[in-house]
Amino acid sequence: MQYELRYQVLEPKRQSYQNVIDRFGDQPASRYLEATLDVEPRENFHYRPTWAQDRELYDARFSALRLTDPYSFTDPRQYYYTPYVTSRAAMHDEFGKSLGYLEDRNLLARLPEGWRAVLGSVIVPLRHLESGAQLVSVAGARFAHGTSIEQCCTYAAFDRIGNAQMLSRVGIAVGTGTDEVLVTAKREWLDAAHLQPLRRLIEEIMIVEDWAEGVLAVDHLDKLVYPLLYTALDEAALLSGAGSYSLIAQHFASWFTNQRRWLDALQTVWQADPENGAANTAHLDRIATTWRDRALEAVEPLAVVIDKQVPEAGAVAALEGLR
Amino acid sequence: MSGTLRQVGIDIQESEENRALIDAIKQDNPDLTVRHLPGLVKVQSSGQIVINRETVESHLGREWETGEFQLAIVSYAGNFSEWDDDQIIVKWEH
Repeated sequence: MQYELRYQVLEPKRQSYQNVIDRFGDQPASRYLEATLDVEPRENFHYRPTWAQDRELYDARFSALRLTDPYSFTDPRQYYYTPYVTSRAAMHDEFGKSLGYLEDRNLLARLPEGWRAVLGSVIVPLRHLESGAQLVSVAGARFAHGTSIEQCCTYAAFDRIGNAQMLSRVGIAVGTGTDEVLVTAKREWLDAAHLQPLRRLIEEIMIVEDWAEGVLAVDHLDKLVYPLLYTALDEAALLSGAGSYSLIAQHFASWFTNQRRWLDALQTVWQADPENGAANTAHLDRIATTWRDRALEAVEPLAVVIDKQVPEAGAVAALEGLR
Repeated sequence: MSGTLRQVGIDIQESEENRALIDAIKQDNPDLTVRHLPGLVKVQSSGQIVINRETVESHLGREWETGEFQLAIVSYAGNFSEWDDDQIIVKWEH
């Protein structure tokens, strides 16, 4: 007896959701697109916010930077919940391993005196900076128009908590399992002269009305802080007997590369927008002139303190190169 | 040998990840024909099929190693004349 195996193809009635089909035609779309496009409500709002009577609950006018179609921007990393969580879990696992290695051998506590001071008075206090940056990203998550942008801000906000947590763990490891370094770091953040310009700057950015300007202002700060502390200083650390700092710094440097991917893409899309492109470019230029110099002023004292503690670090010169 | 170009083809398993891969192949090979079979996508082109890592990465949204292509192939017609870190080329060489 013989069996003949035949297959029968059942064509699905539709390959994707209607809003996705409206944009790309009836073909299978990626999960990222299905989970992102048109999710944020655009119509049928019942009440206006009591605190902004001239705006809808979700409104493009919350920022000067606008897109004709908010979904002309999509996240180049294609993060929706699952890929984001998976990638960050992996990142924190890696960080945990690096830190575990350092803790097992008590390497952070045995750093050269200068580097230990840099960690305690410059690096660890920056967890409070991350906390400020988190609030700014949360504003973006609430007010950005279009899920594709809003989603990136949400993840950026969670990333900031993650970064702050990584810094805290470093602080605890430097203090050999005590909160001693974290407590002094907090005091430094509130009182030490070299951190006050930075604290002032992030607090002023927190009250910027336009969410996009806030996010970009933090980014102008990041563009100095991250390359200086986690790339330039990383090299200096390797050459001056503080290899354990390098093990930590690499994780922050790679996070920053990841963060750049969506922010750079978003700025390109803002500038290329058919209707608002010119206005957006003008706004971006204004934001850059307003915040870049202020960021530089805020980071300079950090570089000076680093060079004072570790003369061979060359932080001031490195910052000059980032100008 | 005649001047006509012989067809090369790759059969790729249909999945969420591989859809992005197929989109990337389509982008880099304008005269590609794509046939959908149940669970399988047959792509064919005359002469050669080029797969660029950078294009795949931009469609996939993450880093992609050309070695991962192994996981997507069900079958192929042609020779892998090049398979390095940045590019895969399938064509007939004889």
